[in-house]
Amino acid sequence: MRWLRFAVLISLVTVLQAGLTDIIAVSRLNIKPDLLLILMVFFAIHYSQPEAIIASFAVGFAADIIGSAMGTRIISFGLFGTLLAYLSGIISIKKMPYQSLAIFICGLLIGVTGHFLTLIKDQPTATNVYAVIFWTSAYSSLLGPFLFLPTAWWMRIKTHRHERH
Amino acid sequence: MARQQTKLWVPKRNKRRLESPSQKMLFTWLMLGGIIFLLAPQNLTSKFQFGFARIFQWPLSIGRNISLSAHMEPQLTDVVSRRKYDQLQNYLANVTEELNRERQKAEELSGLRNRHSLEGAGLMLAEVITASADGLVINRGQNDGLQKGQFVLGDNSVIGTISDISPRTSKIELVTETTSSTAVQIGELKTVLHGDGKDSAKVQLVSIKHKINIGDNVYACKKPGLLDATIIIGTVAQCSRSEENPLLWDITVKPACNIQALNDVAVIIMNPQK
Repeated sequence: MRWLRFAVLISLVTVLQAGLTDIIAVSRLNIKPDLLLILMVFFAIHYSQPEAIIASFAVGFAADIIGSAMGTRIISFGLFGTLLAYLSGIISIKKMPYQSLAIFICGLLIGVTGHFLTLIKDQPTATNVYAVIFWTSAYSSLLGPFLFLPTAWWMRIKTHRHERH
Repeated sequence: MARQQTKLWVPKRNKRRLESPSQKMLFTWLMLGGIIFLLAPQNLTSKFQFGFARIFQWPLSIGRNISLSAHMEPQLTDVVSRRKYDQLQNYLANVTEELNRERQKAEELSGLRNRHSLEGAGLMLAEVITASADGLVINRGQNDGLQKGQFVLGDNSVIGTISDISPRTSKIELVTETTSSTAVQIGELKTVLHGDGKDSAKVQLVSIKHKINIGDNVYACKKPGLLDATIIIGTVAQCSRSEENPLLWDITVKPACNIQALNDVAVIIMNPQK
């Protein structure tokens, strides 16, 4: 894992998520893709378990920094990123439909877990939270696999091989 | 006699087993860190959020301007923009309400001199760095004389109060957030406005004997030390009988300005230190 490139990538994606994803938001609920979720799934699929674990928690920390309550997304991203990294060691998730499905399911699980943890912290939550979680996961799953290629290029890895890095 | 060599059987080290505990330990330590962040007080953890907003203020502002430009409607000639119209409308509502109150005061307390509203107050202009349903983050903080609880204006209307503060940035709790409650006045009725998390706010427990109409202005009540004048906060968007108790109104209040489209706001600082 090239950690410097990883740090630059996470910073860039965090700024994009906080500042620019409103441009591609749709519907009255302001549904936009979760770029950090897409990033987490990418690292969970393409890297070894220790690196994927660290990457998942780091992406969760970045998500918390632009969110409302610290700690909620660190835990939810870290937990489900680790599970996905473990699962991708058993099942190959290299094809785009499978990657989309992984992003969608992770988005749902992370969203629901994060919501309950936010309630524990007594912080304000989004309106129509379950609809937002569902459509955000769906939007991210449609967009995600297409963003894997530029991410792989930046991280200097080859995605068409099955070997882990 | 030859020495007999006895071979001791040493089980082979399972390298996989050696790797697993380190991954488990890594996961455990990182999860512990997450739990610490979750349980830490908000005023400690918000320093990370403020730090991010301060470090990346420039690209975040540019991104926000691009987002707002992309959503802006094309302007027709010889007409003012919707935002300008809202600003003027809010200003008119504030001035009208102030005039009514001054007239009442003049009738009750004739012969006494009255201070002009917001006299002695300062307005600290601030730029919005990030905006979300959780609130706004602005580029002014303790170093600029801001404090928690101060009222924030957007387009001449109250949009919220300062909920969290750092030396150079602050977070605004919007009146539409579920954790927000603001003392307000609708006509002669004084009540409390609660955010409902859906870009609007609710007024509850109001008896139907009070006459409330759609379109009525809702004003933030004065608060000693923080707000010296009644300023518009929104308008009544819906007023119907409560489903739970038909003897009470279920009032929905829409903010007087489009909060998410704001680029700059003003913080009311009563009695600023010169």
